[in-house]
Amino acid sequence: MIHITDNSSGPLHRVPTTAKLLSLLILSVLLFATTSALFLLALAGCILAVALICSRAALAQWLMAWTLLFTIAVVVTWTWVSSGLEAAIVVLLRLSALSLFATIVTATTTIGQFIDTITALARPLERIGLANARDIGLAIGLVVRFIPEVQSRYAAIADAHRARGLKMRIATVVVPVIIGTILSADEIANAIDARSIRAQNAKRD
Amino acid sequence: MSTRSLVLIALFTAIIVVLGLVPPIMLGFFPVPILVQSLGVILAGIVLGARGGAFSVLLLLTLVAIGLPVLSGGRGGLAVFVGPTAGYLIGFLPQAFVSGWIADKVVAKNVTGWKLYAGLFFGGVVGVLINHALGITWLANFVGLSLADAVIGNMIFVPGDLAKAAIAAYVGHLVSKNLGTRARG
Repeated sequence: MIHITDNSSGPLHRVPTTAKLLSLLILSVLLFATTSALFLLALAGCILAVALICSRAALAQWLMAWTLLFTIAVVVTWTWVSSGLEAAIVVLLRLSALSLFATIVTATTTIGQFIDTITALARPLERIGLANARDIGLAIGLVVRFIPEVQSRYAAIADAHRARGLKMRIATVVVPVIIGTILSADEIANAIDARSIRAQNAKRD
Repeated sequence: MSTRSLVLIALFTAIIVVLGLVPPIMLGFFPVPILVQSLGVILAGIVLGARGGAFSVLLLLTLVAIGLPVLSGGRGGLAVFVGPTAGYLIGFLPQAFVSGWIADKVVAKNVTGWKLYAGLFFGGVVGVLINHALGITWLANFVGLSLADAVIGNMIFVPGDLAKAAIAAYVGHLVSKNLGTRARG
């Protein structure tokens, strides 16, 4: 689990998370509304300049995300073949500018800030009784905690296959992983309740 | 929501993430190795039901949005929500909900054997169709492909995803046989 956050506290780190998310939304509307290649080029240039000045780590991270760049390349090539060069340039500028800006937002915001923002956004839901905002933080923590657990369960089953000379097959691998994991849910839920983690949350509110 | 449902949802999200991390598994009858992360999403609906499946996928999307590299190939961050394949990613949510809803109905009927399998497979296929419809809509409306191009490009993924629906139904019927409705908290 690697989260590349640009730790050098640049100016973008101090911008509130909601403001960054809002500007991403506005930028995406702006980029999709326009078809002028020149305007798109100017916008993409601005975003690239922001990345170079404020967060080089984001730029590096964006260049390393090859699967994303690959899908963009496929779409651009397809557009070039079917609708000509100008349309392809528009698509290229639009998608790369947007994904670069999104990467900048991700790289200049810590996971803690994101969780705080999500919790704050869920507060109105809590008031009308739809969700418990603090459960969101708990659930995210649980997933991060359980990923290595499920991984080792998977590895144990893979080892058992190897020891018996069996071929890895979906049914004999995935089924035991799921059933074992579901069976462990009771224990974990009891442990959470025994420590009254959620009850404490309710009291603090 | 009971603590048990919360834990089950979090555990299943962890399963989906791990399925994206493991090397692709070869299937006996399918000539190419398949990536199993989207299998995890189909399974979330079929095993946990509509509510649990949808929450599980919502939790996955939240993890992606806050920048954790939980999607296959180590992808994550807000960039994937604005990339060409964003429709498929968002489509996971209604997919898990609808296949879960159908699976709930099928399991509630207390059928066994091939009827249970066929019902779960139907749920999986409907979910896959919804996911592809959203993926195509995104490609055609926001990425700039023509509708025909998007549909043709999408065709590459249809056989694989139908195979995954079949596997998910098989796994789902084994889980349901062993655990009954214990996972549908």
